[in-house]
Amino acid sequence: MKRIAFNLMAWTIVLVTAFPLIWMVITSVKPQFELFRIPPTFWPEEITFEHYRRLLWETPFLLFMRNSLILSFSTTVLVVGVATLGAHSLVRFRYPGRERLAQLVLFTYLLPSVVLILPLYLMMVWLGVANSLLSLVIAYTSFALPYALWLLRSFMQGIPDDLESAALVDGATRMEAFFDVILPQALPGIISTSLFTFILSWNEYLYALVLVNTDSARPLTTGVMSMLVSSFNIEWSLLMAASVMMSVPLIIIFAVLQKYLTRGFGAGGVKG
Amino acid sequence: MLGVMLIAPCVLIFCAVIVYPLVSAVYLSLFNIFTPTLKGNFVGFQNYADLFAGEEFWRSLFNTLVWTVCTLFLQVVLGVAAALMLHQAIVFRALARSLILFPYFVSTVVAVLVWRWLFNDLYGILNHLMMWSGLLQMPLDWLGSMPNAMVSIVLVGAWKYFPFVVIAILARLQTIPDQLYEAATIDGAGAWARFTDVTLPQLKDVLMVVVLLRAIWDFKEFDLIYLMTGGGPLISTQTLPLMVYKEAFGLDAMGRATAVAVAMMAVMLVFMVLYLRRMGKEEAR
Repeated sequence: MKRIAFNLMAWTIVLVTAFPLIWMVITSVKPQFELFRIPPTFWPEEITFEHYRRLLWETPFLLFMRNSLILSFSTTVLVVGVATLGAHSLVRFRYPGRERLAQLVLFTYLLPSVVLILPLYLMMVWLGVANSLLSLVIAYTSFALPYALWLLRSFMQGIPDDLESAALVDGATRMEAFFDVILPQALPGIISTSLFTFILSWNEYLYALVLVNTDSARPLTTGVMSMLVSSFNIEWSLLMAASVMMSVPLIIIFAVLQKYLTRGFGAGGVKG
Repeated sequence: MLGVMLIAPCVLIFCAVIVYPLVSAVYLSLFNIFTPTLKGNFVGFQNYADLFAGEEFWRSLFNTLVWTVCTLFLQVVLGVAAALMLHQAIVFRALARSLILFPYFVSTVVAVLVWRWLFNDLYGILNHLMMWSGLLQMPLDWLGSMPNAMVSIVLVGAWKYFPFVVIAILARLQTIPDQLYEAATIDGAGAWARFTDVTLPQLKDVLMVVVLLRAIWDFKEFDLIYLMTGGGPLISTQTLPLMVYKEAFGLDAMGRATAVAVAMMAVMLVFMVLYLRRMGKEEAR
């Protein structure tokens, strides 16, 4: 009896927390006229995918999506590639300034983007790359690199030293040991770091707002918000459909790759 | 030598996109720069003098503190409670966890759009539910008036970020040895006593870290507040990051904007140093 009551209570709380997201999905499949019913209907009386059709074919949504995909993939590949080498160096090599460097990484991981953004804006204008996806990739490394480096460092600290030593005794060079021994061991960590970096870039808003003001280079975050501002009367069902579509990659990651996410929680997202 | 070569790309990128902008921000804050032309002249510490003499900076700092303290408090209370709940055996626990964690991973843009629709004064479900249950007589203007606007962003902030606390606490709960609870039960401790005497002391360290991290991140939050209220009504919910943006791109005063950013950074440095110290201690262990 007590068990059932506890389960009921727990699930009520879970559903209340998830309600805004459930409501988003429900709103996105309601016909426009049903939104303005008073009192509102909970279950749609009629399910329609009209908003999704319009979103995909009559708005620049697909263009924004393409931009977001290119942007997040490039940022992730660049950042995780560079950070894997860097983390390996921070964990396995000894040289002066190594500890300081690790501290600096943690410090930069906490830096507010509003401090960096104005100089970065000037830099992009000066380099002549303002208003392009390239400028965003460069700017995104400023928060993604410290993050990835910190996360990968904690993953790699978990790989026993003996593995590399054994390979070295067998006559491998340090680079061979890195590719043959460390990389396979670090792979799960690299995958979850990539996932987190991808999500971080996918959701970024401030840099995109400041650095890009043409549709051709706008990612989803600022793109969808511009659809809210530019329409005269706000079409909530269209915006909810856009929100659902925007969350699809997250849902996929959650459903398929969850074990990598939980691994990431343990390693570095929060240490304690 | 190889070690230095491997870290070199990281260091180079760091210098280009973090160290240089950081130094440059301090430098720019000594100039008076017109944003559209990016032309300016040296004014020394005039930007800072103006800032500290005016009311807007202090008001924004005050708003930032109110927002940070309130939303952080809710995040921690809700986060610990939810973690304790999800630590128990409930049906479909994996699904329940995913649903609780989802708000943290969803884009702020999505969260804001959904909540603005929920808060909508005419057709929003929230006003309707509250009137239906008798909590409200009249529809409430959630975002356009004070103190409602501050309360609204604090609530949405708590909803969006409490899963972070859940993740951290849940991970720690799983490592508390069962024997501690068994011993306490034998000593006659009830459920509440077990919580205060066993669970809380065990959680103390991780809670410290979580509070510091979240304090830093809430303090610098831009997206959520900017998209929910834009700092309004007037400047009632304008926090320091929003003020930076407004000075730079609304009022075209790039120099003053960087001065605000640098001043904000100085306040944050306190938390950042505390956090770094803490992490330093843990690394040493």
